[in-house]
Amino acid sequence: MKANKISIVILVAAAIVLYSCALRKSEPIVGKTFTAKNMQVQHGQELYMKHCQKCHPGGEGGLGPALNSTPAPGFLKKLQVRAGLGTMPSFNHQEIAKEDLKDIGKYLKALKHF
Amino acid sequence: MKKWLSLFFICPFLLAVTSCYRMRSSHGGGQISSISSRKINTSDIALPPGYKIEAVVSGLTFPTAVAFDDEQRAYVIEAGYSYGEVFGEPKLLRIEPGGTTTQIAKGANNGPWTGITFYKGAFYVAEGGEREGGKILRINMDGSIKELIANLPSVGDHHTNGPVIKDGYIYFGQGTATNSSVVGPDNKEFGWLMRKKDFHDIPCADIVLNGINFTSENVLAEGSKGEATTGAYSPFNQSTIPGEIKKGSIPCTGSILRIPIDGGAPELVAWGFRNPFGLALNEQGRLYITENGYDDRGSRPVWGAGDVLWEVRPGLWYGWPDYSAGKSIIDDEEFKVPGKDPVKAILQIQPNKPPKPTAIFGVHSSSNGFDFCTNAAFGYAGEAFVAQFGDMAPKAGKVLAPVGFKVVRVNINSGVIQDFAVNKGRKNGPATRFKRGGLERPVSVKFDPSGKAMYIADFGIMRLTKKSVQPQVKTGVIWKITKEGS
Repeated sequence: MKANKISIVILVAAAIVLYSCALRKSEPIVGKTFTAKNMQVQHGQELYMKHCQKCHPGGEGGLGPALNSTPAPGFLKKLQVRAGLGTMPSFNHQEIAKEDLKDIGKYLKALKHF
Repeated sequence: MKKWLSLFFICPFLLAVTSCYRMRSSHGGGQISSISSRKINTSDIALPPGYKIEAVVSGLTFPTAVAFDDEQRAYVIEAGYSYGEVFGEPKLLRIEPGGTTTQIAKGANNGPWTGITFYKGAFYVAEGGEREGGKILRINMDGSIKELIANLPSVGDHHTNGPVIKDGYIYFGQGTATNSSVVGPDNKEFGWLMRKKDFHDIPCADIVLNGINFTSENVLAEGSKGEATTGAYSPFNQSTIPGEIKKGSIPCTGSILRIPIDGGAPELVAWGFRNPFGLALNEQGRLYITENGYDDRGSRPVWGAGDVLWEVRPGLWYGWPDYSAGKSIIDDEEFKVPGKDPVKAILQIQPNKPPKPTAIFGVHSSSNGFDFCTNAAFGYAGEAFVAQFGDMAPKAGKVLAPVGFKVVRVNINSGVIQDFAVNKGRKNGPATRFKRGGLERPVSVKFDPSGKAMYIADFGIMRLTKKSVQPQVKTGVIWKITKEGS
């Protein structure tokens, strides 16, 4: 009985995660437009446009996978930016400085939850 | 603890596997199993709050651009040609109240008509020139047509585009013959190589080549047997040597050119573009263009090259065939096709260091015709509104999800791109992919003279497979977006 309950909880949690992954979280789909709330997010948005937009347009899938819907935590995304993975090129500190990468992360977080 | 440790490794592994580009098949917007009829349903389109959209006219065949006369009446051009080797009659149509059209002029079998502008009582049209070479036409209100320039080098992959008028000159774009300067089997697939066997790219000024040659199937040989060796800026199966000089000449491919308003010899404005499709002047009179970036196809494929919005500065070279968006593509993992060798340099000497782009769009988004908002009442004044035709995967390269199929707005100061008109739904893509009635393939944007209404030319349905491009006649639509209450 206890095992059944645990299974149900896991299944429901997995369903929620999968459902949220499948949702499209881009503007103006959500009924509003994105506005950067502070300078760091705005800076991150501009850097995202320069380095990331072409493969993940608006955080959606394209040449690369969607970012808005991925459940991967921020540190994993930053790791992937630095190390590259598969066909994604790596970006070193000369290309994207540490503080700049932080700002890109803040923009992605703000975009995901606006 | 052990379980958590396992999860720590399994999660990134799963993330890596599911996001692995090479293991996944292409999911381009046009990769649909069957073609359904075009539906029109404005509620399938998402806009920022406060805007509304309506379909002004439907049932058009390959519409590419809208213009307005001095009485503010709207006109549309039908291209008369589409990729997929579908030839027809280019037409200039007036859009009448109630969604009907009146034919004003009909062109020759030399489409596609790619762009139009109205100036002092006449229309100026860019004739793509797939059969006979590109032209700039003046079309009078009575439908009579005068050629202002002809024989532009546009019988290849990309055509004569534009035009816009500034300071007594007609500015237009001339696309390249090839993807990245080398004629190859992909050009046979386009169709033109069988018609124009000696056609190739033409530089705008003398260039010195590295002499790199590319081996491919000899698609021009009887029965397609044997190999061909082809160098850059050369006819198919003609090689080059290190240090070889290719003489520049005007008109050239991959350029912005201009002619006097009444016609005359073309002059070079800027070069080093791949396919400069959209041209527009902002309120300050500065010329901007959209450039379609490299594809992952042909003898010298390039991966990961976004489309670009450029401000055009006279006399400069913008980087094609060795740069993308101001960045060198040479020996860079960012532009190397997965599983293939890095891209090698074509040019021994670069004409100049390419400038920085205004904005970089999605790879394969086909960011095309655009216009600037000049009326604050519409909102986003000063921003560029760009129609994204959408990817042509798998012909142009693989994508993990449909790219484009919408209208985006661009802040030309910050380079920030944001969606403006886009299909609703769990996934992005052309409406028919999801059996809905929204945007299909927006190809250009034009504000009416008041600046209060934005018109979108929607090319219509285009299905793509590995072997074919299947555009559908009579599926084009003109959309109109206004502010609610205006």
